[in-house]
Amino acid sequence: MQSLKEIMPAARNNINTRFIVLEKGRITLEGGENKTCLGLVADESASVHFQFWNEECEAFQPGDIVRLSNGIFSYNRSNHLVLRAGKRGKVDKVGEFTMAFVESPNMSEISWVPDPNNSGKYIQESIISPRSRIFPPMV
Amino acid sequence: MASSLIHKSTYEADNPLESSLIEAFRLLEPELRPPFPLTIRTEPEYFNLNRAILYGILSETHLVKVHLKHLHGIVTDGYCFFTNLVCKVVDELYSKLVENVKVQLLYVSLELVDVSAVGVDSLLVALLRQIRGGDLGESNLWLCSEMVNLLWGKWECLVEEQPMIISSALYVFLRVLSDHCRVCLNSKLKVLKQKEIEFCIRVFKDQFHLCLKIGRDLIRVLQDLVHVPEFHDLWKDLLSRSSDACQLYRSRTCSRYFLLRITPEMETHLRFLLTQVKLGSQTRYQIWFGRKFLNGPEKETVVIDIVRFICCAHHPSNDILLSNVIPRWIIVGWLLKCCTKNHIEANAKLALFYDWLFFEENVDNIMNIEPAILLMVNSVPKYIHMTHNLLEFLFLLVDHYDIDRKDLILKGVSSALDVLKRKGVIQSFDVLTCCDMLSPFLKERLVKMLSWKNVSGFNHLQPVFLA
Repeated sequence: MQSLKEIMPAARNNINTRFIVLEKGRITLEGGENKTCLGLVADESASVHFQFWNEECEAFQPGDIVRLSNGIFSYNRSNHLVLRAGKRGKVDKVGEFTMAFVESPNMSEISWVPDPNNSGKYIQESIISPRSRIFPPMV
Repeated sequence: MASSLIHKSTYEADNPLESSLIEAFRLLEPELRPPFPLTIRTEPEYFNLNRAILYGILSETHLVKVHLKHLHGIVTDGYCFFTNLVCKVVDELYSKLVENVKVQLLYVSLELVDVSAVGVDSLLVALLRQIRGGDLGESNLWLCSEMVNLLWGKWECLVEEQPMIISSALYVFLRVLSDHCRVCLNSKLKVLKQKEIEFCIRVFKDQFHLCLKIGRDLIRVLQDLVHVPEFHDLWKDLLSRSSDACQLYRSRTCSRYFLLRITPEMETHLRFLLTQVKLGSQTRYQIWFGRKFLNGPEKETVVIDIVRFICCAHHPSNDILLSNVIPRWIIVGWLLKCCTKNHIEANAKLALFYDWLFFEENVDNIMNIEPAILLMVNSVPKYIHMTHNLLEFLFLLVDHYDIDRKDLILKGVSSALDVLKRKGVIQSFDVLTCCDMLSPFLKERLVKMLSWKNVSGFNHLQPVFLA
């Protein structure tokens, strides 16, 4: 199982991790039929934007602890870097409340560039924002 | 196909405890039908058979008698493993259980009382903990009714073998009666309320020594029921017997009573909040906790039980005290602000100060009184209204909580203040007595109270404050 700080963009469903849902945005329709919803999720190492898909949008609430199996971290149609289950991945609610988290760094707020020494891989270029610009921290 | 014991949404992961029961049942199903095999089992096989039988009892309503007969036949450990397993189901799954399964669970619990199973006391405690304060939902009222019937029905046996369960149940029912006596009643709730009252009165009349076991919080919860005719005379009678009243006031209530009013899930969340969450990142947790446990009509009465739990049943280690984990007084301050009704806020403040009123250094624990002083002192200057409100309330209690025993209370509060200073919980009371933002009247009273013990020769050590 990976911690969120270790994930990097890839075109493959290779991410197995666990996180707590901090916030959910508005549910919107993508392509007229599929519901999507952007959320802020985090673990003890980092946070990231997660894209919920169809029934997932209503099934998960802030405070839920979620296990992601074979997830993917890549750009969505709006060119946001998001974590999601994708077609081959799976999300399960495994608990509630009892998980510590940090909001910074946010892995979706990092700009990544192709690794010149390792084709197909990405490396961090710069930090766009230390925290989510979509879901500001709560004090 | 084995049916599920719990309500589960599409995206919920399998529950390991439920899975272990289902798995055992699937494996052993052929052996669960008579004639039962007479093989001698190894310990793991025995445990698995226990699991399979429990699943059978919970899910196969029509075969429950067969499964119970089987259980009685195979038991070799005084039902210890089985009862423990039922306990786990109650602690971990109760709120998610399908209604039928809850019915079966109560049925098997009654059976375990009948056979005096090893650990049945823990099972009854686990069930009592599932009765939620401030919850007038049908399912909660059903559990109240089942439990009061069970206790009434097994009265003789429980008085004899599990007297602590009678004290525990008394505390629980006195507490939930304050919910049940506050609302307009439908006929079903009226019947339940009457049964609960009869049970409590029976304990007072027949087993008064078991009431005394609860200690001072008995008076706190009973006070909420003074307006109920059945309790009115009992209350007057109790307080008129000075020796009983003083004995109660002077015995600190054991923390297990406070745990009785917090569900295991709530306890887990609170303990997580108070051991893992860093100061400054509590806001989201508070919102989630509030959404789950405090939102809804009448639900906030549970704040009173939580304050008592935090003061008396959750004492952080020194490591935690020295870390940047959120301290108890901040959570208590937040809980007080959550109260939207005056009577609940007043009761929550009483819960916060209760051990101050009767504090005796050799009986009481300084950790029980620590949150209140830190909340008052640390609220200066930004939340001065909190300090003011609490200090004013404390003096109100000294003057009016029990006018016949005002001296006892004055002594209690003075010793509390003395110990807090002497043990270094706070360095000095100057932050309060010299605070410009506090009313002169409150400061004057505090100074008086701090010097009270010097006059009466209580404190032979260094005077805390020289007026």
